[in-house]
Amino acid sequence: MGQVILGVGDYGASNNPTDDVKTFALGSCVSVILLDPKTKTVGMAHVALPDSSINKAKAAEKPGYFADTAIPALLAEMTKYGCHKKGKGMVVKLCGGANVMDTNDTFQIGKRNALAIKKILWAHGMGAIAEDLGENFSRTVTISVGAGQVTLSSPGRPNWQL
Amino acid sequence: MKTISHDELKKIVKSSPMLSVSASRLLQLTSDPDHDLMDVVNLVKTDANLTARVLKLVNSAAFGLINEITSIDRAISYLGERFIVSIALGDCVGKVFEKKLVGYEAAAGDLWKHDLRTAIAAREVVVQGEMEISPDLAFTAGLLHDIGKALISDYLKDSAPEAIELITSHDSVDYLDAEEKLIGFDHTQAGFELAKAWQLPEKLAEVIRYHHSPAEASEAFRPLVYAVHLGDNIAMMGGFGTGSDSMRYRLDANYTDYITLTPNTLASIMLTVDSEFDKLEQSVASTGEDKG
Repeated sequence: MGQVILGVGDYGASNNPTDDVKTFALGSCVSVILLDPKTKTVGMAHVALPDSSINKAKAAEKPGYFADTAIPALLAEMTKYGCHKKGKGMVVKLCGGANVMDTNDTFQIGKRNALAIKKILWAHGMGAIAEDLGENFSRTVTISVGAGQVTLSSPGRPNWQL
Repeated sequence: MKTISHDELKKIVKSSPMLSVSASRLLQLTSDPDHDLMDVVNLVKTDANLTARVLKLVNSAAFGLINEITSIDRAISYLGERFIVSIALGDCVGKVFEKKLVGYEAAAGDLWKHDLRTAIAAREVVVQGEMEISPDLAFTAGLLHDIGKALISDYLKDSAPEAIELITSHDSVDYLDAEEKLIGFDHTQAGFELAKAWQLPEKLAEVIRYHHSPAEASEAFRPLVYAVHLGDNIAMMGGFGTGSDSMRYRLDANYTDYITLTPNTLASIMLTVDSEFDKLEQSVASTGEDKG
């Protein structure tokens, strides 16, 4: 069994049914999960910030870092596995985007990430069928490619499915 | 769960690793706003082991220098004092920072990574938030802010689910409150005791004690405490907490009295933390073969 581990700002995909696609400790970052039932491919991006306009060089080097560059990059990556280039037929799930307690507007990066991602998904005619966003705890995500099952975990809590 | 008495806490502090003479003097010196880099150089020169480590670091692959630096003066001015403080602390109390935090369900090394991220973020808050305090001092304070967790982690044992239940049921307002309910002390109080035993400068001790409640710090040190408060939150938001307590603290939005931050500045700080962290973690680790 292989593991595709994605760090902050990474994106990747797998169609190997024995693989897990995994990302650790999302904090205010958001994980965008694309499941393609037709090709049995799982794709994920670990998005850190909503908008690439603050650092174009970083966006060119790591498109997965920003919501607006991550989704086109992930869709392009998934075409290598025979997926539809505009994500037709894909199942979308979102998780992460936590905020610290009593946060003010400036520090609501988690919320801004989630909103930016939803806006870009809508522009692609896509929408999430399941989400576990916000609140104030960090999430680790594991997706089993074979079963297409999304498992979330957080220290001190029992695991749960999305 | 058994609570810890004040006397027991004192015993725990006594059995903890102590600062080396040069680390202690380095913290005193760098906390003084009137010091300059030559003072740091002169201090490092009195410690042969530290001198060797600094030279090894500056010439390590992480910095990719073409010409070897052989003089300690040049090495220190090239690296800057935050690297020197990181090495000196890692050398004598690395075991504290590397400890596996069982009570928070965090792996060995998670505390050090969180502390490094907090240090870099606090420094960037000072620089990009247009504050008039020393960026390097904010870095050192960020490194030290959570030392109390290493002290109480073993006593919290397997209580993480209980702590989270206390917060989700609103019996505790945050993780600090949960710690106090569970063992009678929170990590800032425990850290403050260690700070006293280590004879840390008062401003660093106050950062350790009040980094979750910066408004309670002495007025003179409040800007520094707020910078570390934000640095700590930024580290957690970036996915580098210390386990079960991550994000389960309150942001004091009155930081705006001392720090100017727009959403774009905050995003820029988070980007810098990511890139600086990779550089610093690699380089400090590359000299740390005897780190506990």
